[in-house]
Amino acid sequence: MKSTFAAVAVLATLSTAAQAADLKICVEGAYPPFSSTAADGSVVGFDIDIANALCGEMGMSCEMVKSDWDGIIPALLERKCDAIIASMSITPERMQVIDFSNKYYQTPAKFAGAAGMTVAELDGKTVGVQRGTIHQSFLEGEFPGVELKLYGSQDEAYLDLVAGRVDAIMADSIAISDGFLATDAGEGFAFFGGDYADPKYHGVGAGIGVRQGEEELRNAFSHAIGRIRGTGEYSTINAKYFDFDIYGG
Amino acid sequence: MDTILEYAPLLAGGTATTVLLFLCAAVFATLMGALGAAGKLAAGRAWRWLVMGYTTLVRGVPELLLILLIYFGGQRGINQIGDAFGFDYIELSKFAAGVFALGFIYGAYLTETFRGAYMTVPTGQRDAAKALGFTTAQTLRLITLPQLVRFALPGYFNVLQVMIKATAVVSIIGLADLVGLAGDVGKSVRQPFSFYMLVFFIYLGFTILLTEVFSRVEKRYARGLDR
Repeated sequence: MKSTFAAVAVLATLSTAAQAADLKICVEGAYPPFSSTAADGSVVGFDIDIANALCGEMGMSCEMVKSDWDGIIPALLERKCDAIIASMSITPERMQVIDFSNKYYQTPAKFAGAAGMTVAELDGKTVGVQRGTIHQSFLEGEFPGVELKLYGSQDEAYLDLVAGRVDAIMADSIAISDGFLATDAGEGFAFFGGDYADPKYHGVGAGIGVRQGEEELRNAFSHAIGRIRGTGEYSTINAKYFDFDIYGG
Repeated sequence: MDTILEYAPLLAGGTATTVLLFLCAAVFATLMGALGAAGKLAAGRAWRWLVMGYTTLVRGVPELLLILLIYFGGQRGINQIGDAFGFDYIELSKFAAGVFALGFIYGAYLTETFRGAYMTVPTGQRDAAKALGFTTAQTLRLITLPQLVRFALPGYFNVLQVMIKATAVVSIIGLADLVGLAGDVGKSVRQPFSFYMLVFFIYLGFTILLTEVFSRVEKRYARGLDR
């Protein structure tokens, strides 16, 4: 009898009792502005606001479970959480192990250059782009008249844009906005042209990961994404973090 | 600096988690080491093979891998047992997985430390104790153990010094320890370097503190012996 109690006590310390929340959502907490760790240890950001909005729409209570990026898919598979909302791009490799809802955002690729520049002026100009990225393939495929200058890192492209060695750069809009335009070095530069999100080059965006076979949950998320787009809740959250529509085309 | 101050309470909590993890793992590792040494020194061949399997396995597998295996593999095992018997989902906590992994790994190293210390006590002393009518338990308690502790301490403390740094590895499973939190916070505020420097100094502080404590304990156990 005594040993039974001891075993129960050990089990109780090893495990946390079944959660009251309907759904546990794996989030990352180290990818601002989508997901970052606040001073009180909670996770905040676009992903978390979207997660809460979706849970509200689905009428479920949700609990955010912070997980390391490298362990986030195993955490889902071993039922430590029921869904991943962590700016995870929908890729064929990931779809072999988990399923995705429809996208909940897709950061478009954008050009940036000296304020006032237009796409029409690009022909014959030099554009800086990071080597081996979707952006390089996109420019080679869709802008054959543009001369490309390739860089090992995005930061080098920013430096050369400021130095005048390239006329423009192309990269992920969030990367440019947070890593360059919002900094001191980015003064006098701006986005120009439209948002580029061609599935052929840029993939299909970030979705909500669920375990394979959980069709009901996957569909519920996809429908909820559509509904918060309709009610305007999405735009409200969007406006809190970004000055353009992050949902993409 | 302001950012670090803003996050100081959170990081203090992370430091407490790291310290608690270290203490629990140290206790568990010591138990595993004592059991392992007893097994290796025991007469039974089965025990010796079992312990040899344990130490060989652990010393041959990277800590990182073992932690991932215990946390995710252990959860899978619990899930399968749960499914088979119709239990609800039982969560294996990150902290428990960390304590178990570190204790399991460093217990293997301590097995060798303790075994070596036991063998340093001359067999003649045990023979003499037997001749004088001491029971096996009395011999162990009054003669072997006090010397064994003294012989084992330098190696024991050395392993613990290594183990406190290995606590950082547990952040891979997302435990909110010092390193894990500092990494997340550093990325969140885009100042990874300042937060990692802070971690550097905290761990250095741990090591200096432990060195001081350990040297006092060693002196205490070596009292009465000329050096």
